[in-house]
Amino acid sequence: MSVKYVPVQWNMNKWLYDAVLIAFVVIYIIVFLRLGAPQADFTRPTDGQIVRMRAFGSCAFLMLTVILCIGPLARLDRRFLPLLYNRRHFGVLTTIVAFTHATYVYGWYYNFTPMARYEAMIASNTSFGQILGFPIEPFGIFALFVLAVLAATSHDFWLSFLTAPVWKRLHLLIYPAYIALVLHVALGYLQDTKNPTFAILFASGALLVAILHVAAWRQDRLRSADSEWIDLGPPSEIPENRARIIQLRGNERAAIFRYDGKLSAVSNACAHQNGPLGEGRIIDGCITCPWHGFQYRMADGRSPEPFTETIPTYALRWNGDRVELNRNANLPGTYVDPLRLSEGSQ
Amino acid sequence: MAAMILLTGQIYLAVGALVALPFLVVGLGRIDENAQNTWVFRPMLIPGVLLIWPLVLWRWIVLETGRADEPARHRPPLTWQPRLTLTLAVLLPFLIFAALVIRQDGPFERPAVQLEDGL
Amino acid sequence: MNQSQDEPFFIGWAAPPDLLRPFLAGVALGLLLLAGVFAYLVSATQDDPGDGAFMGRAVAHGVLQTDPYPVLHVVESERYEPGTPLILSGNGKIGVRDRASKVDGQYVRAAGTKLERGDLSGLQLANGMNGLRPADGAIPQIETDDLGRWRLTGEICDGKCLIGAMRPGRGLAHKACANLCLAGDVPPVFVATDKVDGSEFFLLANADGQSLGDTMMDYTAIFIEAEGRVEKRGNLNIFFIEEDTVKVIR
Repeated sequence: MSVKYVPVQWNMNKWLYDAVLIAFVVIYIIVFLRLGAPQADFTRPTDGQIVRMRAFGSCAFLMLTVILCIGPLARLDRRFLPLLYNRRHFGVLTTIVAFTHATYVYGWYYNFTPMARYEAMIASNTSFGQILGFPIEPFGIFALFVLAVLAATSHDFWLSFLTAPVWKRLHLLIYPAYIALVLHVALGYLQDTKNPTFAILFASGALLVAILHVAAWRQDRLRSADSEWIDLGPPSEIPENRARIIQLRGNERAAIFRYDGKLSAVSNACAHQNGPLGEGRIIDGCITCPWHGFQYRMADGRSPEPFTETIPTYALRWNGDRVELNRNANLPGTYVDPLRLSEGSQ
Repeated sequence: MAAMILLTGQIYLAVGALVALPFLVVGLGRIDENAQNTWVFRPMLIPGVLLIWPLVLWRWIVLETGRADEPARHRPPLTWQPRLTLTLAVLLPFLIFAALVIRQDGPFERPAVQLEDGL
Repeated sequence: MNQSQDEPFFIGWAAPPDLLRPFLAGVALGLLLLAGVFAYLVSATQDDPGDGAFMGRAVAHGVLQTDPYPVLHVVESERYEPGTPLILSGNGKIGVRDRASKVDGQYVRAAGTKLERGDLSGLQLANGMNGLRPADGAIPQIETDDLGRWRLTGEICDGKCLIGAMRPGRGLAHKACANLCLAGDVPPVFVATDKVDGSEFFLLANADGQSLGDTMMDYTAIFIEAEGRVEKRGNLNIFFIEEDTVKVIR
């Protein structure tokens, strides 16, 4: 690939996507400030700065909640996939909204003091030893910092430069950031409000994120259960030069042999009289049938020269430190690279 | 204490700026051929370098010295991500429930109690 | 992930398939609706911040007391009833102890911006001599009445934001700001859940009658229970809070 970097690779979809996002924020802020606030039961109006910090703060919470819902939704229903793509624009806009919230807080609660304002932000509340009154500012600052890092590293260049695994790890910080955001609200505004509406909306949003993640995880588990790869567990459960037998569909069984730091899987049935190869062992570098001593090489299921018997083989792969077997048998005698134990658990 | 934290933050960003200048002007074209002769997008990378310059330095050195483990970039996604998201899913209801439990749902009907008479 | 044939297949950079367009339009509309409804519900159910507010310019003559915090007992004013105690503060999150201690116990002229919340009044002093200077007048006796020892429930607030400098000027979201005010020597005010001798507002002092300093920062902005003597000076209740009796209530 040699596509030169440009600031943003725009296309019609992205324009539409971003238009919806900007409309989302504009509608939210206008409804909050112009329609909602005048309906609130105020003896005298709440300070404009405080209403605005509430508007942008709650908007950022809602946006991050939606962002975190997109991932599991797309896994549960593939029609949501177009939302996943371009999610980075959603994140950048959320960062801007959260930053606006922080700017109002900074310019109001930490203003008008003889202390330097940033210093005031850090020094004003040090009640770290208690839950009620625990400083909510560090949670907010952490969440904003993570959002800023993620937004700043959202360009394709960073994915290529940091490599996908590092970039992915970095961007998983969004989960701790969401926890911090929830704490920021739960120990602050949630404690303050007497009207239960906010508590209900806030809890519903966060619980929806939790429920969708569990649902997507469950679906992935169910999918993998009937997928073509079968979990065999860690290889340590197989003794050296012996096999583990597993049941496949029907009467089909596979035997997974461990030898010389490698694993290979073949059909459990001997080509001679369907003897249980998995109960045999490896002798002279060949699987040896316990019934009549027929022998097969582990990697390709072929009997050594001059014999011509062949048995089906199976593909193996790592999933973390667990071994998985492909339930679709290869044609008898097909060579399969043995799985090296040294490559496991990465 | 607060001043110390602020100073640390300022130094961190200042070092980031020191890294950003040579990296964006010289380093970028050397380590990524897609970035050669591109200039418009480079200023966009400044915030990123300021914030994660230790990572930038590490990758820059690895790529310059040719010690990059190229196959690593194709390794499958993290196996512990499900665990992370499940932790999130467990923590969220717990935290919100706990926060609602500790709420001081005033106004309280607590009378003022006189313990001693005035003199 | 498995992909069966009947599931729609989407390539990131390509236009979404025609089949998906109505679905995506629905999602977009739903999101915009969500924004509007969520915003309206959160905004329209905000709590009442109370009636405290800045009430415009005011001048008052009266007797100044500096301890535990600067308070003016009004003798004569167009904007306050005689006998009203005024919680004094400076411009910003700062008290006026330095200026007040020079005229402690004297008859003074104070000018600035009036603050008022219910029965509680304050004055944000203008800078320098314009804000506070000695004046000619007879110094009346300020009665001091010991009301005994009490156990009170309530919240420690700063006596500026609470009275109307911010709306709302109390509660946990405002805690850091309240702490900054107290650190700046703005008089702390205890808002109790019940009245003692007609008022639920108490100027706070420590058990020795001195200013709190920053000893109570961990207990601001939350409901606590505390014991201490209550004294009435003029029309102002003062709560001499005993630190070791402070408890966060459930």
